[in-house]
Amino acid sequence: MGEKNVSMAVNLGGVRMQNPVNTASGTFAFGSVFESFYDVSKLGAITLKGCSAEPWTGNPAPRMCEVPSGMMNTVGLANPGVAGMVEQYGEYLAALDGRGCRVIVQAAGHSVEEYVAAVELIEELCPWASGVEMNISCPNIARGGALVGGTPESAAEVVRAVRPRVKRPLLVKMAPVRVPEIARACEAEGADALSLINTINGMSIDVRTRRSRLSKPTGGVSGPAIHAIAVRMVWEAAQAVKIPVNGMGGIASWQDAAEMILAGATTVTVGTANFYNPTCAVEIADGLAAWVAEQGASDVNELIGAFEC
Amino acid sequence: MSAAAASVHDFTVVSNEPVADGLMRIVLSSPELAASLEAGQFVNVHVPGDASQILRIPLSFSHADAQAGTVEIVYAVVGDGTRRLSAMAAGASSTAVGPCGNPWPLVEGARRACVVAGGVGVTPVVACARMLAGEGVEFDAVVGAQTSGRLWGADVLGGLGAGTVAVTTDDGTAGRRGFTTDALAELLASNAYDVVYTCGPEVMMAGVARLCHDAGVACRVSMERMMCCGFGACGTCNVAMADGTYKSCCKDGPVFDAEEVAW
Repeated sequence: MGEKNVSMAVNLGGVRMQNPVNTASGTFAFGSVFESFYDVSKLGAITLKGCSAEPWTGNPAPRMCEVPSGMMNTVGLANPGVAGMVEQYGEYLAALDGRGCRVIVQAAGHSVEEYVAAVELIEELCPWASGVEMNISCPNIARGGALVGGTPESAAEVVRAVRPRVKRPLLVKMAPVRVPEIARACEAEGADALSLINTINGMSIDVRTRRSRLSKPTGGVSGPAIHAIAVRMVWEAAQAVKIPVNGMGGIASWQDAAEMILAGATTVTVGTANFYNPTCAVEIADGLAAWVAEQGASDVNELIGAFEC
Repeated sequence: MSAAAASVHDFTVVSNEPVADGLMRIVLSSPELAASLEAGQFVNVHVPGDASQILRIPLSFSHADAQAGTVEIVYAVVGDGTRRLSAMAAGASSTAVGPCGNPWPLVEGARRACVVAGGVGVTPVVACARMLAGEGVEFDAVVGAQTSGRLWGADVLGGLGAGTVAVTTDDGTAGRRGFTTDALAELLASNAYDVVYTCGPEVMMAGVARLCHDAGVACRVSMERMMCCGFGACGTCNVAMADGTYKSCCKDGPVFDAEEVAW
């Protein structure tokens, strides 16, 4: 923290962070691979790659392609399962929490039953976790691939099923659709915070081969290309609910992060930028502290939602 | 496994010039990076000049010279990113993430090897030959290209001490007309290799892997995948294994035992 007279601590629905900077699920692995770039414990929190109750192999290659000012992916939530993750990284993550950086475990599933199974394992095996983020942007296999959290009703159903089983703060990672309605539905079912936005579904076609540039027809667009959309959706969510919002979408600089805070985000989560600028998140933490001071505030919380039209 | 973990390194371009049709050789000055690299690893280079292309370009190197503090990369100009890279002049600077991936392994007890390169796959193969020469492993080389104009590396491999250097081109404008696998099949028939190292188009490496399997010779392949980070964060560079699982090209590879890969 560069600015001594500024308080940067925030409370994300019970996840108490030393600063508002978090990392997005699926862009930071399980944290350890970033330790050779910088001291990860300087971040407010990290969010782990989504884990399901059983390991998932994910989609075939190619899983990514570039698009202007962004990229697309169809990783398919490949993960070692909650138990596999704990076996490989549990010791590191417990130590990271001890070093001052909160760890948020993300749960993935294709059905209400799979989410329940994942969070029950997380509750049992991850005592070091400060929060559980439920990713409801997964396709629901039993419902023809429609997003689990694609409607207020389906989002409410899965939050209702999971909420009593999660003793820790429960974050819901929303799909970037029908934001105010789904935000209110999640809040009504007891979510402690909302994380948004997830990638926006897109397509990229090689016009010579007529094939998708990914192994699937569509993939999630991320990066600076979606930032302005993300700021708008974070603002909409923050207007719609009283619970805090964990803002993400194309954050690549402290200015992008500050924009999210002004739009109403309590925390700012760095995603795709971790891939091409691996030290980005820690630089944003420093930049934000300087910005809070420059704004004449003594506490970053004074600036949350301080956007003026 | 590699000794050094990846970090971000500044570099300055020392030189950048064409070496064949569509192939350029860039030399980067970056002493810490050069000292940390082992043959077979790669670097992920930020090419400035277009903010709308956000990702780095993963590139193999042909020579990491710890004494000179330089990294030599022979690369194909294939897209907007490598076109911008080809325009970086001496003195220009940027950053590279590295070391990425694992080095070519020395196979225990191996005394004779063959290296097989196709197209721009010659870059890590030259690094491999340099490693073998340094370790006193005798080696032959096969270098293939589409045409004589696109061929690079045959004389470099000869200079590094290759016994035989067999050149193939698709159109017969240099060496024999045909594929690297044709030349390798003949070499395998008349030599007792302990190991074959290869990098090139995947279809070529599949052919090399099959020949080695049939001959009972160990084979190590350097795979290529589209990827974002190069250090195990994004999970996009999966390589399908014969046992039905996936491995990561950047963290588990890029070098694999050919027997493990699902060709």
